[in-house]
Amino acid sequence: MPLLIRRSISLVFIVWFCLAISASQGSNPHRAGGVIPKGEILVKGAVPAASDSTTPLPEDGKVVDGRYRNDYFGLVYPIPDKWSEQAAGPPPSDSGSYVLEQLALVDREQRVKAHVLITAQDLFFSALPVANATELIAALRAGLAPLYEIEREPDEVKIAGRTFARFRYKSAVAGLHWRILSTDVRCHAVTFTFTGTDTEALDDAERGLRDISLNPDAPSCVAGYASGENVLERIDPHFSARRYNTIPVRVIIDREGKVKHIHLLSAFLDQSDTIIAALRQWHFKPYLRDGRAAEVETGLVFGTPRTILRLPGK
Amino acid sequence: MAVISDVVVQPFGKEVYVNRRVAASVFVSLLLIPIGAFSQVDPGVRGTVGSDTAGHPLNSVNSDNPATILSFFNDGKSRFQEVDSVSHGSIMGELGAGLGPRYNSRSCAACHAQPAVGGSSPAVNPQFADATADGATNTIPSFITLSGPVREARFVFFTDGAGNPITTSPNGGVEDLYTIAGRSDAGLCTAAAISQPNFTSAVAHNNVIFRIPTPVFGAGLLENIEETTLLNFQASTVGNPFGVAGTFNHNGNDGTISRFGWKAQNKSLEIFSGEAYNVEMGVSNELFTQERPLPEEDMASGLPTPCKINATPEDHTNFNTTAVLTPSDAVQFAMFMRLLEAPKQSKKFPGGETSITNGEALFKSIGCNACHTQIFSQSPSAITPGLGGTPLFGQWSDLEIHHMGSGLADNVSQGTAGGDQFRTAPLWGLGQRIFFLHDGRTSDMVVAVQEHFSSGSEANTTKLNFDALTTPQKQDIINFLRSL
Repeated sequence: MPLLIRRSISLVFIVWFCLAISASQGSNPHRAGGVIPKGEILVKGAVPAASDSTTPLPEDGKVVDGRYRNDYFGLVYPIPDKWSEQAAGPPPSDSGSYVLEQLALVDREQRVKAHVLITAQDLFFSALPVANATELIAALRAGLAPLYEIEREPDEVKIAGRTFARFRYKSAVAGLHWRILSTDVRCHAVTFTFTGTDTEALDDAERGLRDISLNPDAPSCVAGYASGENVLERIDPHFSARRYNTIPVRVIIDREGKVKHIHLLSAFLDQSDTIIAALRQWHFKPYLRDGRAAEVETGLVFGTPRTILRLPGK
Repeated sequence: MAVISDVVVQPFGKEVYVNRRVAASVFVSLLLIPIGAFSQVDPGVRGTVGSDTAGHPLNSVNSDNPATILSFFNDGKSRFQEVDSVSHGSIMGELGAGLGPRYNSRSCAACHAQPAVGGSSPAVNPQFADATADGATNTIPSFITLSGPVREARFVFFTDGAGNPITTSPNGGVEDLYTIAGRSDAGLCTAAAISQPNFTSAVAHNNVIFRIPTPVFGAGLLENIEETTLLNFQASTVGNPFGVAGTFNHNGNDGTISRFGWKAQNKSLEIFSGEAYNVEMGVSNELFTQERPLPEEDMASGLPTPCKINATPEDHTNFNTTAVLTPSDAVQFAMFMRLLEAPKQSKKFPGGETSITNGEALFKSIGCNACHTQIFSQSPSAITPGLGGTPLFGQWSDLEIHHMGSGLADNVSQGTAGGDQFRTAPLWGLGQRIFFLHDGRTSDMVVAVQEHFSSGSEANTTKLNFDALTTPQKQDIINFLRSL
């Protein structure tokens, strides 16, 4: 076959192939915007919400430039060398539990050597009556199953100028070690749970905590402030549907007793809108600190009060 | 031609024949694989040995305590197995009635079959034959295969005229696979009157999700757990080092904890039974009293008139008959499920006693039982002693709903459960199941474990703990799960 004819046939084939590809893509419903993306949670249940998008929220932390940064807690945690960020955790629970971040050290065979789970338990909404990080660790110790062996009984340790409750145990059968350090921030127990088989990696990671900063620019947190005589005006939210879910809400009250910020940890969207609209009309007695009016952060529960407000002491 | 000559005796006593040539090539392949490449494997569906077989009544029922309860169990089981036709006596051998006009299968036991009546999806999918049974003229959707799981389909969103999902209009309702059109007993309910949902379009738009049947062994024991017990367990997990914090789904009528179905959306076995009879088989009953249209039909003019063949409810209390025959099918289905014994764990198979014991300790150590918990106290039962009074053991579920992340999300909301929240699946009977997870996406236990890890899942930390284990340790966990 002459070269020119062969080339012409090749050219026709290439053009046909390109047109076929183009046509098939043109008929792809995804290009028309009609295909539901895989791996996305589009129909949500109860989710967190807030009255504004500028005030930091506990669940908004991010890894940036090798550091986990959480503006709500004023937390900056340098990620240990070769540790990597893992899949995100669930949204805040209706009992005030947050998974803030998860990092892991994985070897070349994809075996996890160690990992750290950073969590926060909102002490206003815990289903267990714990007042602070020390009590939370004590509860964990008390409920620890016999299959674990204690490596260090709960005690307290100073890290980066803060007091942490500390607890260590292991599972002999799994070869896993747990090193748990928890501290109080804004009436939350912020907890670092280091777990792994590689004790050197765990040692290094635990030592790395010395480089964290935990300095929230935050108002005082006071359990139960939004109750009794402190509430001067209140408009109760009226829900369009009864759902039996518990809706924990944190509010920041300004110096004049007005609601400055509302954070719903877990609510359906219509519930959030209703609660935010109602709370904006609440008016409180100004909180006094050292005899002067000051901002205060407190908690409220709407919906089904299965979660009982606890009094974390200070 | 294959030469069948070697007999391999599996640990559970079943004989498997292996072609010699295949065996030789497998041996050579094994020599070529570096040691480090071995990984844990699912030993497969565990065989049954004598009394380990699931599907028996509770001991107290078997001893007829109280008197006549065994006859109720047997009658319920019999009705559970009945094949339904559209009307009584219309098809020889099909003793039940009320099928359709839309349905997913024709009897309860067709889908709740593995490893015994009351179980889950069998090896041969009955929906393949259901499509054309008794003259029906249905097209089998692409996601229904002969060796695949029994599937119930739900459209995630309602669609526009072109089939495009409207993402502001969540659907989530069941789209029955088939219609009775073409059946010899369908009367005027022909293909001109009623049609199947457009599954081709739904698949193309990724707008369809699936559910497989939940096994119901031991279901009465779950029904009889006190709420306080569940709430106390939930409180006991506060501060757990695995990032787990579940919640409960609640019954919309009385606000109590609901516990049956993939999202714990059903309060009781009777509700579960009545709903399934209506939704899966199209039989109206005293709990769900009308014939059920598709969700999109319900938004328009309902079912076509020629397809409303029977007076409703089609299943109802039977008057002027004996005591055991008086209750409706839905009530007797529930009674059968309620009185079924829980599956029994094998102490030796697969992998041997040491591996299983070790696997259980590992399972607990790494945090699986933060959700898949083992022991609950029981309330005394007014029905039969076997349903209460002793601690419930080995259900491996907290009955809470947990976020399972984007990988398992089905974007269907039921009650307060959102698109990625599922009830902790009870693990008893797991060893004899063929298909895993809510949509039956895998038959491989290892894959089922891995699927617990994705963005937004409460199981992520536990999965990292699993990934920290050695291969033999992981194998022990898999063996333990297959022993259940």
